[in-house]
Amino acid sequence: MKKSKFGKILGKLLGATLLANVVLFIVFFFDLDGKLLYYVVEPFLKKHYDNMERKDVLKDSGYDVFKYEKAPYDM
Amino acid sequence: MAKKFDIKALKKTDWKKVAKDFWYGKPHGERRIGDLYIEKTGLYKHREWRGVKDTMYYFYAVWLYNYAMMVADIMKFGGIVPFAKGVWRYRWVGQTYLPVIHWYDRGLQGLRGEALRASPWHYRGMTSSTIKQFMRFFTSDTRLNGGKQNEHYKTNIAHKETVWGGIFYPWDGELTNLPLEMIPYFVTCHVNSHTVQNYIDAVQSIGLPGDPCPMCQAEAGLFVLDDVPDYAPAFITCNEACDASVASTVLQDWLFDKPLYALPMPMQFDDPLVHKHVMKEIEGAWKFIEEQYGIPFSYEKLVNKLKKQNELMEFEWEKWEVAAKTNYYPINGVAQALYRIYYSQYGDWEVWHECDAKVRKVLEKCVSKKINTFPNTRHRVIAWSCAPLFFSDWPTWAYNCWGLNVVINMDSLMFDMKIRTDSYENTLADMATYHMWAPMRRMAVGGMQHIFELWECMEKFNCDMVAMYDQLQCKGMQGVHGLFEDEFRKRNINAFWMPHALPDSRTVTRAELRRMINDYMTTVMHEEPLDPSLLDFDDSMIW
Repeated sequence: MKKSKFGKILGKLLGATLLANVVLFIVFFFDLDGKLLYYVVEPFLKKHYDNMERKDVLKDSGYDVFKYEKAPYDM
Repeated sequence: MAKKFDIKALKKTDWKKVAKDFWYGKPHGERRIGDLYIEKTGLYKHREWRGVKDTMYYFYAVWLYNYAMMVADIMKFGGIVPFAKGVWRYRWVGQTYLPVIHWYDRGLQGLRGEALRASPWHYRGMTSSTIKQFMRFFTSDTRLNGGKQNEHYKTNIAHKETVWGGIFYPWDGELTNLPLEMIPYFVTCHVNSHTVQNYIDAVQSIGLPGDPCPMCQAEAGLFVLDDVPDYAPAFITCNEACDASVASTVLQDWLFDKPLYALPMPMQFDDPLVHKHVMKEIEGAWKFIEEQYGIPFSYEKLVNKLKKQNELMEFEWEKWEVAAKTNYYPINGVAQALYRIYYSQYGDWEVWHECDAKVRKVLEKCVSKKINTFPNTRHRVIAWSCAPLFFSDWPTWAYNCWGLNVVINMDSLMFDMKIRTDSYENTLADMATYHMWAPMRRMAVGGMQHIFELWECMEKFNCDMVAMYDQLQCKGMQGVHGLFEDEFRKRNINAFWMPHALPDSRTVTRAELRRMINDYMTTVMHEEPLDPSLLDFDDSMIW
């Protein structure tokens, strides 16, 4: 007997869902998400943040922080 | 050399027991959770097998559900583009919030049954609120939006994290209050304790001393590293709990450089004149907001939001009643502590009500069916003073290792009040009290009568042991250390100390904290651990 088109699609959908569940469970159970984030993503991002150009807030602030350089108490 | 296959051992295996352990999970004493860790990292060789039902619950309803909901929240609050821009620009989000599910794992480890059904809802509420806040940062931030002050920017108001969100209820729906440090600092310490170290080191690198409260150091360090979004036209600040906070606010004022209103918390507040003064200060804040944004104060909106906040408080009291008088309370120590301080400080929001509705169902089931949710409890513990943020999940470890069930903690009990909504005067009076009972204030440095509320709470919650936090850089609480020692002896109370440097995991490490508890439990209590694999393990590089 020929399988209907609907039956085929349903079968594929069920198969894909089952496969997705199995793959996700493997990721979950073996903490693969944690390992990816710990060994790959975090070091990569840390390197990026460490090398980022940042404003030197002590010099570039709108405030003139050195205006008291010759304050009266600075003998 | 590979281990030889031992056919004799295989023959001796009790397959009935293996099948039972597979189906129901191993009993508490046989779990050996410590063996699951990969050395130093705190990662798992594999996640815990909790029996078929609970493992599948954790997989689908906690792990998968929360990953999916995080994506949904990001899409709901602005979409993938601002999120990606924010992750690329700000260390505190990229380094911290991507591994958020591991924060769930650490806090929910070993849980079974109804405790596993209820506690994750608290994590879900906090995660959703966190995403909402950082997405609002990114959609408003002039740095991520070509220097433009867009509509979000113009309708945001910045404030220190210890200014209660309720102050802004009169502008509900018109203004969005966004605490400056709650997401870039406070929550990061719990999720990934590495991030905050950058900010502490940054502030010390410009010459500030290393001994003040590391919380204040980190908050100022965010600015030193130029890691604060420019997201609002005005700022309401406060002195949080101490002089160090005043200093960090001075730095913030200098570096944020925006119109600012200071809404201080008095150091001693049991005084009607001080109370009146704070009421005036709150009215001053409202006037400042009206002036800055041109939107009038609405008492009606204030009352509506307060009524909703009062509903949260009523449910909290119901929960406490169950926690205090029964063994049926399904929330574990860390979920209780973090959720309570988060929502009571941030203020009312719909997600708290949604989570509470879910928790109520589990709670009612536990009470009606008399389910003992933490059956291996040996001691009911109350945790007092300010907790180590980098190891906020220590109660989970303590229950799994020693059967110490942290039933309640100081931070949960601070805002223990409903706010009257029957008249403007009463509302304002109660709001002033709420503001003064701030974190690290009422029961930490708020005077002896409040610090010693411990004894009353201990009795109320039927606890037989105290976990006494000792924030090494808090000059206020350091001053009363000896008084607590005296009282513990006089009252014959079992208590162990937990010294720590709030967010900084380098000063006293997690391993050292565990060792102190282990020592107390063996040398003073003469008890054996429930899970010896958790006594000593290396998680020095854990998130």
